[in-house]
Amino acid sequence: MLDNLIQNFINGVMLGAIYTLIALGLSIIFGVMNIVNFAHGDFVMVAMYATFWISTGLGWDPVATPLITIPLLFLIGVLAYYLLIHRTLRRNYVTQIAVTVGLMVFLRSITQVLFQARPRTITQSIIQGTLNLGPYTFTMTRLASAIVAVVFIVAIYLFLAKSWAGWAIRAASDDLDSASLLGINPTKTYALSFGLGSALTAVGGALLITFQQVDPTMGMRFGLLSWAILALAGLGSIPGLLISGTIVGVVESLTAAYWDPRARSLTVYLLFILILWIKPKGLFGRK
Amino acid sequence: MLKKISTPKNLLLLGIILFTLVLPLVIGSNQYVLVLTTTVILFGVMATSWNLIGGLGGQLDLAAGAYLGLGAFTTGTLLTRWNITPWVGMPLSGLVAAGVAALIGAPLFRFRVRGVWYALSSSALVQVLYTAFMMWSSVGGPMDQYLPRYDASFYYLRYNTYAPYYYILLMLLYIALYLNYYIRGTRLGFQLMALGESEEAAEVLGVNARNSKLKALMIYAYLVGVTGGVYTCLFGYYHPRFFDSNMSTEVAILGIVGGLGIPYGPLLAAAVLVRGRELLRANLGTVVERSSMAVYAVILVVIALFRPSGLAVLAGDIYRAIRLRFAKDTYVKSADSAGD
Amino acid sequence: MSNLPILQVINLSKKFGNLVAVNNVSFQVNSGEIVGLIGPNGAGKTTLFNLVTGLEQPDSGKVFFKGTEITHMAPYQICQLGMSRTFQIAQTFSSMTVSEAVRVGAYNRCDEKTVIAKVNEIVNLCNLEAIRDIKCGELSLVQLRRVELARAIATGAEMLLLDEAGAGLTAIELAELMRLLSRLNSEAGLTLCVVEHVMQMVMGLCPHILVLDSGVLIAEGVPDEIRRNSDVIEAYLGVRELE
Repeated sequence: MLDNLIQNFINGVMLGAIYTLIALGLSIIFGVMNIVNFAHGDFVMVAMYATFWISTGLGWDPVATPLITIPLLFLIGVLAYYLLIHRTLRRNYVTQIAVTVGLMVFLRSITQVLFQARPRTITQSIIQGTLNLGPYTFTMTRLASAIVAVVFIVAIYLFLAKSWAGWAIRAASDDLDSASLLGINPTKTYALSFGLGSALTAVGGALLITFQQVDPTMGMRFGLLSWAILALAGLGSIPGLLISGTIVGVVESLTAAYWDPRARSLTVYLLFILILWIKPKGLFGRK
Repeated sequence: MLKKISTPKNLLLLGIILFTLVLPLVIGSNQYVLVLTTTVILFGVMATSWNLIGGLGGQLDLAAGAYLGLGAFTTGTLLTRWNITPWVGMPLSGLVAAGVAALIGAPLFRFRVRGVWYALSSSALVQVLYTAFMMWSSVGGPMDQYLPRYDASFYYLRYNTYAPYYYILLMLLYIALYLNYYIRGTRLGFQLMALGESEEAAEVLGVNARNSKLKALMIYAYLVGVTGGVYTCLFGYYHPRFFDSNMSTEVAILGIVGGLGIPYGPLLAAAVLVRGRELLRANLGTVVERSSMAVYAVILVVIALFRPSGLAVLAGDIYRAIRLRFAKDTYVKSADSAGD
Repeated sequence: MSNLPILQVINLSKKFGNLVAVNNVSFQVNSGEIVGLIGPNGAGKTTLFNLVTGLEQPDSGKVFFKGTEITHMAPYQICQLGMSRTFQIAQTFSSMTVSEAVRVGAYNRCDEKTVIAKVNEIVNLCNLEAIRDIKCGELSLVQLRRVELARAIATGAEMLLLDEAGAGLTAIELAELMRLLSRLNSEAGLTLCVVEHVMQMVMGLCPHILVLDSGVLIAEGVPDEIRRNSDVIEAYLGVRELE
């Protein structure tokens, strides 16, 4: 009984790591630019489909697909920024959001037309099998994905903390006008942030599809999940994000195991709404 | 006095109203046009009601589907379980929807909580309700719940023609339009407009941000809830798929594209987009219909980027341009361009 | 015009991270007074205003208005009690006309039946007749300032806090503003607390002056005393005496 609980808990933690990575992408975009990217979850979905298509269509092993999907999503992000977001920066907030909502709907319907509604999965990968440690079983794909996710999260944390570009991003998020006085090109910084945030979804999506399926409606789920993690964590703290992501992953996992698999997102959404009621700035929020 | 009332604008308005009232009679047996028009009005009601919270209230609400579904389930369950007529069920549906709306809105309309969280919460609400109702077997769960079939029953509001539903929805549309105009001239309207310009300035002038937004939200939710009741009677069944995120987004898109805050804007958008979708589908088949949402999206983005004031203002500009073009003498020309 | 305190600020403090913006400030404003609040830039004047009007929450201390504690009240509640304010950077209702903007304020005390009359009254009082139907977004600075003032008065406020209402005005416009404020104070009994950098306005208008520096209240008194106070001179000029 207890073993079962711990197993589900561990599965949740592993899942949480990947969710955190995806939420991190959103946090960079929202935290830096105050842009609400409604299409974020659908970027994940696009990344998943891209991985699917490259591995089944071109025969690549899913492990290698990020070589294409990361630059691809980065590019899509930068393009989306220049074409759509850049022009709406000074408008009222509903207009700003309208553009990303349009992007979201567009991605969703195009995917539906291209791939139809039925779910797709990947079955072949060099990462296979399971690892057994005592009474607990780790699916290799999940485990490997979780480890990769954590590696990326740490990498981004260091990037933001130590590199010049990372510093520029953080400066821009605090005070754009002062940052531009210090020689930071706001447009390029924003485009970079948007591209970076989108590229992270590529990694997350590539990881997810190794053990989950994808269909055109999943964008909403990943989007809301990311926002829930962001709301729980508050803005400005990556370790906080990781803790919140883990909480969300565990909640989902335990709900699916002990209540009803259909309800797994339900509890997360309820948690989301609850957090907004009680602590709108999040548990670890700085701003 | 009669001269004062019978300005060209008022006469046009009267003409339109009369036309909408006799439309079903004029069409006669051509159900297709009636169905299409009813669909336009259905979306028109929801989008015009949405305008109260979205345009006037300045909040992006993505929960129209939640209120529609709640309305459908309330009216439907009251009918199938306790044989209560939808004429009682529909007003009650509105109350249920408004109540749930208050629950979502109250914590989030606090002073200075950013609007994006409301948008996301409302989106989550639709999903929460969908999953919850799918799991809730005592009101039907995943099974379609059918309403009793009648060819023509007033008590059960079941007819085998669209005409009665057309009229009910038309009345709801007029109510929604009227409220849009009326509220603007009242305290609530002024307070909402001020909040939209500067929440801080409004608050120090005595405007309670939360209460004002809640009022707009609840009126909108009530109207959509009642529409939900009509919806279930129209289609003859109810099911959790009515909690539809896509439709909720569509309603918001109609409101935005139509022109935020302009009362007849969303209706115009509804007419254009629903008709457009029908045309696409009829002429090019279902593949294109699925991509009709993609077309919606592109239109939304284009309008947001280039003409954020919306279709209604665009239409207004076109109307003025046409009048100027056909003006019979310079007096009218100059009066026209000075008046607006 | 009684001389009872209408506003009492007791040991008010506020920190933003490591920066102490307002440090244990206490003072009192009597009903019908005009009080000036001056100090170098960054002294914490606007933060103090925000704390008093409910736009920020203090870390410690209390605020009493007309005897009621308003320390943690929301801005709209404080307005309903009778205190309003203007902003340093004008918060314009750009798409609304002048009379519509005033009407927003008027609804604080009026209902639908009396609101139009009140709007007309205020529009006349503040000389806005000529521009009453012009959209606020199209006004000049001095017109905007007058509208902001009018909006706030329309709420029926008994006390107004003005944040740098004189900034950017020409000498004539300044004199006009001072006359209007004086009139409102003497005729309508409006209590005023004015943050200002324009010394002429402060010295000419305010019999009671408070001086803030780095969040601390360093001096309080009549204009002559303040002019000669070495702490004040040091705060502004860095030297303790002027030769």
